[in-house]
Amino acid sequence: MRGITKIYPNGIAANQAVDFSVRAGEIHALMGENGAGKSTLMKILMGLEQPQEGEIFLGGEKVSFASPQAAIAKGVGMVHQHFMLVPSLTVAENMVLGIEPKKHGVFFDRAGAVALTKEYSERYGLPLDPNAKIADISVGMKQKVEILKALVRGAKILILDEPTAVLTTRETEELFKQLVILKEQGFTVIFISHKLWEVKQITDRITIMRGGKSMGVHTTAGISEQEISRLMVGRDVMLSLEKEKAEPGGSVLNVRGLNYTNQWGNRMLKDVSFTVRAGEILGVAGVEGNGQSDLVRILWGFESPDSGSVAFEGAEILGEPQSWLRELGISYIPEDRMVYGAAGGASIEENLISDRAWGKRLNKGPFFNAGAIRKECDDLIKRFKVLARSRGQRVGMLSGGNIQKVVVAREFSAGPKLIIAEQPTRGIDVGATEFIRARMVELSRQGAGVLLVSADLAEVMQLSDSLIVMYGGEVVAYFEDTSALTDAEMGEYMLGLSKQSAEELGRAAHD
Amino acid sequence: MINSDRLLELKFSVLRGLAAIFVSISVAAILIFIISDQPGNALFQLLLSPLGNERQMWNILERMIPFLFTGLAVCVMFSAKQFNLAAEGSVMLGAFMAAMTAIYVPMPPIIHPIVSILVGVITCGLLMLIPALLHTKLGANVLVSTLMLNFIIQFCVQFVLVNIVADRSQGALMTYQFLETAGIPAIRFNTSYGLVLGLAMVVVVSLFIYRTRWGYAIRMVGLNKEFSAYSGLKVAGIIILCQVIGGMLAGMGGAVEMLGFFDRFRWRLLPGYGWNGITIAILAKNNPALVPFAAFFLAYLSRGAVNMTIHADVPFEMMDIIQAVIFLFFAAEKFLAGYRQKMVVKKAKRELGEDLPAKKGG
Repeated sequence: MRGITKIYPNGIAANQAVDFSVRAGEIHALMGENGAGKSTLMKILMGLEQPQEGEIFLGGEKVSFASPQAAIAKGVGMVHQHFMLVPSLTVAENMVLGIEPKKHGVFFDRAGAVALTKEYSERYGLPLDPNAKIADISVGMKQKVEILKALVRGAKILILDEPTAVLTTRETEELFKQLVILKEQGFTVIFISHKLWEVKQITDRITIMRGGKSMGVHTTAGISEQEISRLMVGRDVMLSLEKEKAEPGGSVLNVRGLNYTNQWGNRMLKDVSFTVRAGEILGVAGVEGNGQSDLVRILWGFESPDSGSVAFEGAEILGEPQSWLRELGISYIPEDRMVYGAAGGASIEENLISDRAWGKRLNKGPFFNAGAIRKECDDLIKRFKVLARSRGQRVGMLSGGNIQKVVVAREFSAGPKLIIAEQPTRGIDVGATEFIRARMVELSRQGAGVLLVSADLAEVMQLSDSLIVMYGGEVVAYFEDTSALTDAEMGEYMLGLSKQSAEELGRAAHD
Repeated sequence: MINSDRLLELKFSVLRGLAAIFVSISVAAILIFIISDQPGNALFQLLLSPLGNERQMWNILERMIPFLFTGLAVCVMFSAKQFNLAAEGSVMLGAFMAAMTAIYVPMPPIIHPIVSILVGVITCGLLMLIPALLHTKLGANVLVSTLMLNFIIQFCVQFVLVNIVADRSQGALMTYQFLETAGIPAIRFNTSYGLVLGLAMVVVVSLFIYRTRWGYAIRMVGLNKEFSAYSGLKVAGIIILCQVIGGMLAGMGGAVEMLGFFDRFRWRLLPGYGWNGITIAILAKNNPALVPFAAFFLAYLSRGAVNMTIHADVPFEMMDIIQAVIFLFFAAEKFLAGYRQKMVVKKAKRELGEDLPAKKGG
């Protein structure tokens, strides 16, 4: 791929003159932070997006893919991070979806599909049960189905988009073995990841992207981990953060015995209890999907639990409307900023006042007080360093970091006594990340309680004063003081290898 | 500070609107050349004849009156992405209720038309509670329920008209005459003071949508419902509010049209103004301030189509074809999207070239 430039309809230049080349029969890592342009580049290769400029060559031949079908016809297949499988169908049925073998030209040949699945699964050493339903098999198995699906369709180049993000350590190791087998059989693998050690372990060469540009190609053996991290983020990964020791006050939020079963009948929360105290940041660590997002949705009244109680300053808040939660002094930075945090089609100004549009200060009789709104928004834009041409600019036109600053500006300026921060720095640039973290610490030192839910281990360990770990919907560890914690110790709890005693866990629930 | 994003969007939507109008009139012209023996005359009648004399101009303004109200009604409802089609039925019901008040409730002049209009307005506001509550409480699709509601209204009004309030002394189906106190006086020819009320409502609704917290909430719910709920806006209440307001405006349109132009109620079928309201809201991009322009355009076209029917050999339905084509091109998001993308790309490149000094901020 040469000179690829892609500008999205919202004006974001996701790729700027990117060169990217992969040799046949290698495992090639594509690295970069969230928003560096990796996914866009791969979407272009797959024919999901069309670039404004640039050319793609495949085996010396110039190609352009109008659709994923065109790409797979030329042997380029992708395994998406979120699996594209039909849960109610069997492995074999998913395998042949769209290319079904036929009996008498009309009927679906189930036996043929099963035989085909078996054949491929043996040939490439990916053991599978063709008759199992997708809904019943593990995540690791689903991934194998996805890989085989691409191979059945004739893929010679496999793109794996953060394949290990959803896997356990054992499944990851298994996947790596299989990738090496595929490589030996002459397949080419493009491996998208942010995990340094994985990339060091199995890839031959690395392309690093930052801010929509390629930072060059390197052989894996010839580049150190420090060098990679420097190229990825342009500085050391560990951001330094000055933080005074917390002096926790009384409890602000008391969660007791929360149980929750989701609409598909999965038990997502099991007897969750903890306390957020004034003046401290309580971190919630854990691999994503272990109940953290369900917990937050319940706290914000978007779901109701099977049992349990949630009290804010002593008063029950379960079932209260969001307007009342805000009135009480609870702020919430949601994980999905374009769905919940902001309205992309509305201006910065309109996004900043969404929680206070009914406030006396911003209204004059039946009308808005335009002067007061203007002043408030200009002030917030300045204080929170939102980079924008004016307060009338559409939020959807801003970069991810600036959109998040708009969200944070609104939530932090409401004078909160409790802040629920869910993945507050996900997918945004380093500058915005540091800024938001510093503001959060500042507010907590001024007496606000903060519940920080983050899948970013470095973030949650660095920012939290005390910390709980969630695994399988349960709180499996509580640390009153995070200063002595090690990554290894955390990993044990996060992957469900250890669990503290009931007595130790009980300490999370302060009175 | 000039907001270049908004400017670009505005430039693009005006351009798109003009292009859609141009294409639709071209399509009409082609059809006219095919079906007419005197295509030159037919086209002249359609496009230029309304400029002919003062009477024609006043007639255009007269035709604008119901369009103003239904256009505003649809704008308010579509702003919250509530695809409520019952403006059509509301016009009929509002007109009927105003007619009943005008016939059977004697009142002094000036007060009589005001009260009659208010009766229509309130009835239609209450009417819209049906689809709104069905949606918020039971999840019924507004598009489907209001589409059906229109016909329920039509047949209910017909039933009452035929069986209860018809003036049997007349050859055709109609009510008794309105009391003389009830009519809305004319400014000139047949154009009533309803025009003034319509333009006043344009100002009121524009202020409401862009300068009050309720209008703000309606727009936010339309842009992102999840965001609105998360922010603490009362989404269900807003969804109900915008439809009630829409019903009130459409009902007002029906009442004003009835008292300003007719002396008896004689509609047996839905009058069609609600559908025109949708075309107008789409042309105006749900911006109430642009409704008079879109309404004028449609009124001009309909006068032209009438002239064409009278003085040439092309039927009035040509106007429906033009509307349909405008509709298609406006609804099609991708129409000219390639050109828009080029504009955005050019702008993004220019900005990258400038290398904003503030970039450090993130």
